[in-house]
Amino acid sequence: MAFLTLEGVSKEFGTFTAVRDVSLTIDKGEFVSLLGPSGCGKTTTLQMIAGLVEPTEGRISLDGRDITREKPNRRGLGVVFQSYALFPHMTVAQNVAFGLEMRRVPQAERTDRVREALMLVQLSSFADRYPRQLSGGQRQRVAIARALVIAPPVLLLDEPLSNLDAKLREEMQFELRRIQRKVGTTTIMVTHDQAEALSISDRVVVMEAGRMTQVDAPYRLYEQPSNAFISSFVGKTNLLAGTWRRNGASSAVDIGGVLLEASAPEIAAGTPVTLSIRPEKVLVRDAGAGRLEGHVVSRFFLGSQWLFTIETPLGTMTVSTPNQGGEPPAEGSRVGLDWSPADLRVIAGTAAAA
Amino acid sequence: MQKNGPVALIFHVLVLTFVLAPLVIICLVAFTPENTLSLPTTGLSLRWFKAVFEHPDFMASFWNSIWLATLSATLAVAFAVPAALAISRYTFPGRDFLNALFLSPLIIPHLVLGVAFLRLFALLGATGSFAWLVATHIIVVTPYVLRLVLAALSGLDRSAEQAARTLGAGEWTAFRRITAPMILPGITGGWLLAFINSFDELTMSIFVTSPATVTLPVRMYMYATESIDPMMAAVSALMIAITAAAMLVLDRTFGLDRILVGQR
Repeated sequence: MAFLTLEGVSKEFGTFTAVRDVSLTIDKGEFVSLLGPSGCGKTTTLQMIAGLVEPTEGRISLDGRDITREKPNRRGLGVVFQSYALFPHMTVAQNVAFGLEMRRVPQAERTDRVREALMLVQLSSFADRYPRQLSGGQRQRVAIARALVIAPPVLLLDEPLSNLDAKLREEMQFELRRIQRKVGTTTIMVTHDQAEALSISDRVVVMEAGRMTQVDAPYRLYEQPSNAFISSFVGKTNLLAGTWRRNGASSAVDIGGVLLEASAPEIAAGTPVTLSIRPEKVLVRDAGAGRLEGHVVSRFFLGSQWLFTIETPLGTMTVSTPNQGGEPPAEGSRVGLDWSPADLRVIAGTAAAA
Repeated sequence: MQKNGPVALIFHVLVLTFVLAPLVIICLVAFTPENTLSLPTTGLSLRWFKAVFEHPDFMASFWNSIWLATLSATLAVAFAVPAALAISRYTFPGRDFLNALFLSPLIIPHLVLGVAFLRLFALLGATGSFAWLVATHIIVVTPYVLRLVLAALSGLDRSAEQAARTLGAGEWTAFRRITAPMILPGITGGWLLAFINSFDELTMSIFVTSPATVTLPVRMYMYATESIDPMMAAVSALMIAITAAAMLVLDRTFGLDRILVGQR
């Protein structure tokens, strides 16, 4: 049930191609994040959906209707801007009412809907304040209320949490998800923060240099990244360069002569590959046990977990273990490292220095 | 805030004295009961102000100047706002030329402009009309409006306007409801600077006014070449008062530093 569809959408600014051949299908009610580093084209993609930037090529359709060349005011989509873009000369209530006013909603109904929208974002008592009298988090919620009050078919969020401090950002993530669940609006969020994308989206679209490189559910993206960039961009990982070996039923990655058992059915033997192993998938054992020997270079206590830097014959690895309450191996001590072969990800190609 | 040292303090006091002293003196002299420009005066009198208000030529010129300044400042805003929008938002061939053209009256001596307009009007057979006087003043004051509106636009977050568009506002509605109120301090400041500059303009106006359209500064100039009496001081004091009042209104409404320095 495709609700919003992008087909081969590209955008060129002069000789620079910001977005290249993006095709994406989003279902009704879905929460999709566009994730990528700055300059990857995610905001341009969002602006094309909003109608603020016209695609050079491709087609965008909403609920079966082609909206590629439609003016932003005819699309009726809700947009929350990175800077919130509140109208400084209007009160909170006037800001929220603006979209209804443009739709010529009668005064009585307008008042009711503004009140409901402000209640949804828990700002009912701030209706008569001006944006400059609000905190960052409150402004952000006004922007959300203003976008939602027009009951848009799609809500577009451009880095909605990036201007908030860390603690507030975490609270607002869940707040955003709560509101989206309650209203059920199809939502597309642009972010460069992988934790944000993973925690609140149904699906994540990873973009690199204007291209879409992977579209997956957050946990699949984390467990099965399609390339080395994604594996290091989404969460922390250890990347080891090696060669793919196959011997009958068994297969392994050859890293400087050390063979590590792993599986990757579609890769041909002899291909250079990158091995990705997540820090939390590695288990720290006593010296002599496990698959690999190493010594602890440094350890950091993070409260809920310990983060180790361990020097091994294969290179330096980052390992995290949950805090079990006891004293973990000291710096300088020798340890054994173990893991389940199923937790190793083999990615074709060599990693760009990640 | 950093404190000034004694040398800097003395310097600032000297500069302020140098700037303000003539204005203070002319205002004091305006209240003299004597027949000559004298200071110290023997007492306070409003007789020279009364003389101004009873002088038909001065009053005609005064209203003429007010009208001229109001019209030229308003029309300059009408030209400069769209021009500033075009210059700041779009790239098109001749954009820099257009910007330079609009700002050029700032660097051309008004004397030259006056002579040039005189010749042009003679060729067109258009000398002496009020409309042509307004046209010349628009040209001279437009740069002030353009500068301030450009400054206001460059500091403007365009996403507010985009937000209005996505909420259903057409381009004109978005401008009228969102952009225009946000750059209003720039527009108002520009209008006021334009008004003051037009009201004050002498050099060019000497060439382009006719006996029927003599502006106040030109009238004062003509009067002063014949005789100097305290009535001139009274007119000057009135002009200072009008300008100061306008500045005060502007400062109370929008804040002068915000308009002239561009702080928010």
